[in-house]
Amino acid sequence: MHMSLLLRKALLLLGLTALITPSGVEAQLREIIAKNVGASSSGATLELAFADDGELAISLDDGDVLVDGEVVGSFESGDELDAAWRTLLGQAMALENGALAEALVSWQPPEDGSTQTLDASQAVDEALESALRNVEPQSERPEGSLTISGGDENPLMHLLVNSMGRLGVLEEALEGLEETFQIHVDEDVVIEEGSVVDGTVVVIGGSLRVEGGIEGDVVVVDGTLDVRNDGYIEGEARVAEARVVRNNGEIRGGIVDVLEDERADESEMRNRLRDEIREEIRRDLRNEIRSVARFDDDESFSIMSPIRPVVRGVGGVVEKLIMVFILGLIGAGFLAFAGENMDAIADTARRSPGRAAMVGFAGTFLLVPVWLLGALALIVSIVGIPVALAWVPLFPLAAVMAAVLGYITVARNAGEWLADSNVPWTGWIRKSNPVFTLVGGLLGLSAAFVAANLISIAPFLNILSGLLFAAGVIITIAAAQIGFGAVLLTRAGRRREHYGTYDADAAWAEAMGIDVGEGSGKGSKNEG
Amino acid sequence: MKMKRGWVVAVAIALLAPIAAEGQSWKTVTMSRQLENSDAVEVSVEYGAGRFIVRSIDEDLLYRMNLRYDEDKYEPVADFTGDRLRLGVESHRGGMNIRGREAGELELELARGVPMDLELKFGAVQAEIDLGGLALTKLELSTGASESLVDISEPNPLQMSKATFEAGAAEFAVHGLGNLNAEHITVDAGIGSITLGLEGRWQRDAELDIQMGLGSLELLIPEGLGIRLRKDSFLASLNSEGLIKRGDVYESPDFAEAEHRVVIDLDAAFGSIEVIWVR
Repeated sequence: MHMSLLLRKALLLLGLTALITPSGVEAQLREIIAKNVGASSSGATLELAFADDGELAISLDDGDVLVDGEVVGSFESGDELDAAWRTLLGQAMALENGALAEALVSWQPPEDGSTQTLDASQAVDEALESALRNVEPQSERPEGSLTISGGDENPLMHLLVNSMGRLGVLEEALEGLEETFQIHVDEDVVIEEGSVVDGTVVVIGGSLRVEGGIEGDVVVVDGTLDVRNDGYIEGEARVAEARVVRNNGEIRGGIVDVLEDERADESEMRNRLRDEIREEIRRDLRNEIRSVARFDDDESFSIMSPIRPVVRGVGGVVEKLIMVFILGLIGAGFLAFAGENMDAIADTARRSPGRAAMVGFAGTFLLVPVWLLGALALIVSIVGIPVALAWVPLFPLAAVMAAVLGYITVARNAGEWLADSNVPWTGWIRKSNPVFTLVGGLLGLSAAFVAANLISIAPFLNILSGLLFAAGVIITIAAAQIGFGAVLLTRAGRRREHYGTYDADAAWAEAMGIDVGEGSGKGSKNEG
Repeated sequence: MKMKRGWVVAVAIALLAPIAAEGQSWKTVTMSRQLENSDAVEVSVEYGAGRFIVRSIDEDLLYRMNLRYDEDKYEPVADFTGDRLRLGVESHRGGMNIRGREAGELELELARGVPMDLELKFGAVQAEIDLGGLALTKLELSTGASESLVDISEPNPLQMSKATFEAGAAEFAVHGLGNLNAEHITVDAGIGSITLGLEGRWQRDAELDIQMGLGSLELLIPEGLGIRLRKDSFLASLNSEGLIKRGDVYESPDFAEAEHRVVIDLDAAFGSIEVIWVR
């Protein structure tokens, strides 16, 4: 039993010794699993991925020196740092893993240059060092002594078995401490009044009551530090998951909470999680509200159920009005910059709507084959490949523009017809103003849709609403096909199908209100 | 070796870029990944335009990729997730790079001996691909308007069920098909000049399906390999010197006794087909 305990304590000693062994031992370099070395005129980048999942990215880019995405300094193109970094990356390109790590660690940053260059160089060097070394390089430490004492067998075993967590904390707590160590595991320690201890006292899983003096540092992990009257600690009190009670005692080196950073990280993570959850809830709520507003397929009863048809109907009307507004703007643009072309297209659409519609339908069916065959022919010719690159996106664009131009032109014709008609609420459409006729025509062509939407608000009129909607679709297709055909027939308005001629007899007859014979008011067809 | 020196020069130029290439946006990148184990990998490589080189590598690397590309428009892709490795260059807006007034270069070295399903897609490139030494379990090669030379210079140590070659408008040559160690090889060529070399070490009987649109096809057949050719063509001439017509098929004289036989199904529309015997 006694032997067993000794063995276990020895094992624990081995673990702890590994933590506090002075670093005369050569630090091991991390294994590089992947690298990415890039260089261009604006900068040079090194990205490393380590076998233990860590990563490092250092880049000199556009005047900034970045380590893992954070700016740590600046450089100027061609300065000492830039030159040294590019030289290093030139070597890095040809090296892998161990040889690469050694080359990077042994890189000597430039010693000349401006302060900013030297600072940035130092930052890069430190980043390389800290990322590539498993063990931080430490200064030589004088030989010290190590005393370990512990409670009974079970706590020692407990510590050994669960050492990973505590050892990690210990590693941080013991960093940089020197001199002699007294380590107490799972036991309470009292430094009695009048006694003075030299060196560092480490208490793990127990309480340390200081009534005398400690001429060194104190480390308490998972326990309590109690500094009583006249008690003092000359160095730092480093605590991790520990409580500090200062009953008029002195801690001259101050208290260092080893886990403060971790707690800050935890707090930050908590905040971030809270924000993400909050954002997720908001997003869900927004989606819920949207789905209610859109009246998605969910027709189940909700508080919005009674007003759904109203919102749906009014929404549809607003949608149509926005479409009319957008097409009106596009049409105004066509009128301003291609008015004559629109006239020619409108003339053809007005005089030969059947022919235009046939050409429009044929054109629509041929669009895709023409597009594909054109692209294929250009690609096959090899030399036509650059043209094919333009053909593939531009041909569909031109087809859409032709259809829009045609539809708008037909809408203008419809507006002119409405202006001459006695249809109610069309008195505001003036033929003298082409924009008015255009907008009037667009509204006219959309009237069936608008009516369908408004009627859908009322209950039990779904069939009528559906019929009106179908009528709207037919009107729209017809207008688009007639317009598209007219655009094709007139080569986008550049070649007139019909030319009107001035007919003096017709003008006289119209002015005087009399009939002067045949042919009045008729234009003659002229193939241009 | 010559290629490696070329890359060193290219990188050196890039590293001297502030002096030599002010105003240009060419970037030179070297990427690599250590070989962690010999588990099978699915490798997919896409490259649009430029020079495209693929070969095997002896070092303990899964891959090494040297790239030269216009960083304003494109970005390199090197993604290794699970057992999938995706490499190449894509435009910032996604998709392959198909522009190419002054094209870049991609040189890729893949680990020898690691079982891999290999998919190579490239566009208007000048390609030199040597698959010798790679342990391939599947091969899909697809190219657009390219000038491609594919060589399987060493036998594939693993058996491959299927290898597919697709070429659009291309000058496309494959040598050493015997080394692929594939049971079934499909070649789908659109327009251009195609050379299929059946040299190499055949380890089993195989089927070779060839579909060709318009162009010339050269079949390089090593002496001693049993060949049976079935042709279904519209307006394609066949120079079948050395093959004997038996019914609807053409066969090599020693087809019945040959150690390994390859049955070729040829479907060609327009063009010429020539059989050339090689030693």
